[in-house]
Amino acid sequence: MAEHTLVGQRVVRIDSRAKATGQARYTADLTLPRMLCGKVLRSPHAHARILNIDTSKAERLRGVRAIVTGKDAAGVKWGVFGYTRDQELLTRDKVRYIGEDVAAVAAEDEDTAVEALKLIEVEYEVLPAVFDPLEATQEGAPQIHDHAENNINIHVPIEVGNVDKAFRDAYYVREDRFVNTEYGYCQTEPYAVLASYDSDGNLEIWTPNASPHTKAKALSNLLQKPLSKVKVRKVYTGGAFGGRSDIFPGEFIAALLAMKAGRPVKLVYTREESFTSVRQVHSMVVDLKTGVAKDGRFLANEIKVVMDGGAYSSTGPIATSVPFLVWEETYRLPNVRFNGYRVYTNKPVRGMYRCHGRAFLGGLGMQLDMIAEELGIDPVEMRLRNALTTGDTQATGSKIISCGLSEAMEQAAEESGWKHKRGKLPHGKGIGMGANGMMVGFPMGIRGGSSAMIKFNEDAGATLISGVVDNGQGNESMVVQVAADVLGLKMEDISLVCSDSEITPLDQGAYSQAAAFVSANAAMGAAIDAREQILEIASEMLDATVDELDLRDGYVFVKERPERTMWMGKAIRKALIEDTPIMGRGSYMPKVDQRREWVSNPRGQHAGTFSFGAVIAEVEVDTETGQVRVTNVTGAHDCGFAINPMAVEGQLEGSVASGGVGATLLEEHSWDGGQMLNANMLEYKVPLSVDMPQITPIIVETIDPEGPFGAKEAGLWGSMNMFQAIGNAIYDAVGVWIKEFPITPDKVLAALEEKDKDR
Amino acid sequence: MEKQLIQLTVNGEGHDVVVTPNQTLVDVLREDLELTGTKVGCDEGACGTCTVLIDGKPVRSCLTLAVEAQGKSIETIEGLAVDGELHPVQKAFIERGAIQCGFCTPAMILTSKAFLEQNPHPTEEQVRRAISGVVCRCTGYAKIVEAIMAAAGES
Repeated sequence: MAEHTLVGQRVVRIDSRAKATGQARYTADLTLPRMLCGKVLRSPHAHARILNIDTSKAERLRGVRAIVTGKDAAGVKWGVFGYTRDQELLTRDKVRYIGEDVAAVAAEDEDTAVEALKLIEVEYEVLPAVFDPLEATQEGAPQIHDHAENNINIHVPIEVGNVDKAFRDAYYVREDRFVNTEYGYCQTEPYAVLASYDSDGNLEIWTPNASPHTKAKALSNLLQKPLSKVKVRKVYTGGAFGGRSDIFPGEFIAALLAMKAGRPVKLVYTREESFTSVRQVHSMVVDLKTGVAKDGRFLANEIKVVMDGGAYSSTGPIATSVPFLVWEETYRLPNVRFNGYRVYTNKPVRGMYRCHGRAFLGGLGMQLDMIAEELGIDPVEMRLRNALTTGDTQATGSKIISCGLSEAMEQAAEESGWKHKRGKLPHGKGIGMGANGMMVGFPMGIRGGSSAMIKFNEDAGATLISGVVDNGQGNESMVVQVAADVLGLKMEDISLVCSDSEITPLDQGAYSQAAAFVSANAAMGAAIDAREQILEIASEMLDATVDELDLRDGYVFVKERPERTMWMGKAIRKALIEDTPIMGRGSYMPKVDQRREWVSNPRGQHAGTFSFGAVIAEVEVDTETGQVRVTNVTGAHDCGFAINPMAVEGQLEGSVASGGVGATLLEEHSWDGGQMLNANMLEYKVPLSVDMPQITPIIVETIDPEGPFGAKEAGLWGSMNMFQAIGNAIYDAVGVWIKEFPITPDKVLAALEEKDKDR
Repeated sequence: MEKQLIQLTVNGEGHDVVVTPNQTLVDVLREDLELTGTKVGCDEGACGTCTVLIDGKPVRSCLTLAVEAQGKSIETIEGLAVDGELHPVQKAFIERGAIQCGFCTPAMILTSKAFLEQNPHPTEEQVRRAISGVVCRCTGYAKIVEAIMAAAGES
């Protein structure tokens, strides 16, 4: 291919105009003829046995068209893995958290549906409940699931090298505990689902989602219907951040209601329901023991994490492993012991999050700084001494095929003026670094790869059919940009059909950081295939070899003699007449060890490739109020290759909000037992425009050998390393380590007070 | 609840709608007039997603009763482009990459438009304050602020 005409350019995203004019339709915006309004009756108890549900009064209410309870379901349990199937999405035996789905109504209007919920009588036997993961594992704690003794849901043990010996050999060892409370995704779009069921048995679902194929498969299992009858459609999604991935009760319930009523049903959650009854982010207690050599190299790491998983498994094995994996993907860990426990409690269900593991990753990155200080090593230097590089193998066996971690650290340090600032700023101001690696395209069986097709119209316009999913990141635009570049077309010449479980081929979705690396790879393959077919036909017509030809602006031309040119449409028409229509086909499966398993076999190549990043945060701490203000963030990220630099930058900027100011300083759920106290946007504080620092993005390109044009991922840029950077910057500013996230003013003040006492 | 007939002027067009006194403006815009460009994020006035302009001022349509909006000029995102020509703020949002998931975008654009009409030459700090009532979870506001500053420069 000739030089890039489109990739690498700051192009306008294809979905921008629809979104700027209000034409983009999200699930709650959709209507279908004779559509009913759905509402869910939720458990008021954290733990109770359901003795009886009487829906007879509600059924008699004028305007009620269907009511479903667990009795209407097939009794199939859901869990992302075969060994984690613990949740009936409409529970029959027990409720296990406040807000759990007990029954649901479809009625002619919302008022009637709400009225009907009040008429459903549920008889509960209230059971003792447990809300703390450490208490939940003690003898005598209430058992939430019959199969899980001591409420341990998942245990991921990993041991590499000789940890005990390495600790004995270490020059310096330290132990710390870090904790964090639960927090929320708080996507701007509340959760919603529209379900429609026809007399031929076709179920159609619209819902904000990160993977229509994953949803369809789960619904097919749960409803005991063939996969070909379950059709999860494309709809605009108002943010996901990991919280739209697996199946939720809402989709299942809307489907049951639509099937029972024989009419479409739309379920739109309130903000409170969106907080309590979809997914939340794990709280965790993390114990870290680290031994280093005199020069700061890690010799031994022992990590124990206890995560509050809430009432059900969800993506448990992944969630329990990811913080550890992200750490082994950053540094050389020759001897490491990890024990991750995910514990059941009577709280809402926790899932994966873009800023997952703040206590874990924040803790490791802050402890690294503590050790650096003890040894008299600059924190950036200590990171560089431990950083992985191209060709290295990670602790559990993944090879790194491209790595710009050191470059990212060095460039971020240089750009931020680290050397002139660290330890040298006036009291109250500080600077700190965070860094991490990130798996790109991890093993998900048959749903871990992507395939794509391209067909042409006789006017040389094309349609790309891809499973790619866009929750706002720009993935749709990205695959079109890639295909247009390969085919010498303008982006507007290619229309995209995507994210539909019936029409588009399998794709992992906006999951495992794989949209650029895997989905765009498949789209590129389809475009290359089509390009080769076009050139083949054109070579006869232009009397030149395929190698001598190129495509640009909808024309085929001879590279050495550009005046010999032909409209691409001619080749497409000739192909049709000759019964060899141009049909591009591409696919990509990341080269992972498919035998690798999160719990039973955490060994072998874990991802197709890895991205790397470093951020530097500068803060101001008000020692009177305890308020921390992030003033500047400089972030450098090895995304492999920036297909659209504007979109790549947007990922860092968003991460600084969600992972940085939000997850590090503001966001947490507060509780009274199992009752969430701030399930609303007045009291659940998220970053606003005035809370945001100046952000300087630096794109590091390592041109990954596998990625499309060398691209890896950019979505996790900063989101998982901001915690460390801010925690370390606070120490640089005022000399206290805050080991509990989020770092709220009360914790800062308490730490400052403690420090004064010690003095 | 007793229903009543009211007249609303939305994007310059008159509409007769039958509402109950407790129906919010956002509900009528979305359900009765099918103007779904106005979104609902929290339904309690906290997130700003439902912002529309009433007589040129940004207002939370989830906290506004439809009956209160009678006789006033209501502007939603659908009314911003004139004859297919986008408003400069819409153009700036598109060109500067200020739109990710897009759910807050209508509210952000309307808020920015109203602000720039009052403050054609703002500082960045003023822009940040002006949009601080609308929550965005994707962009970190960086490119939104950049787009508004660019739109101000062009007007």
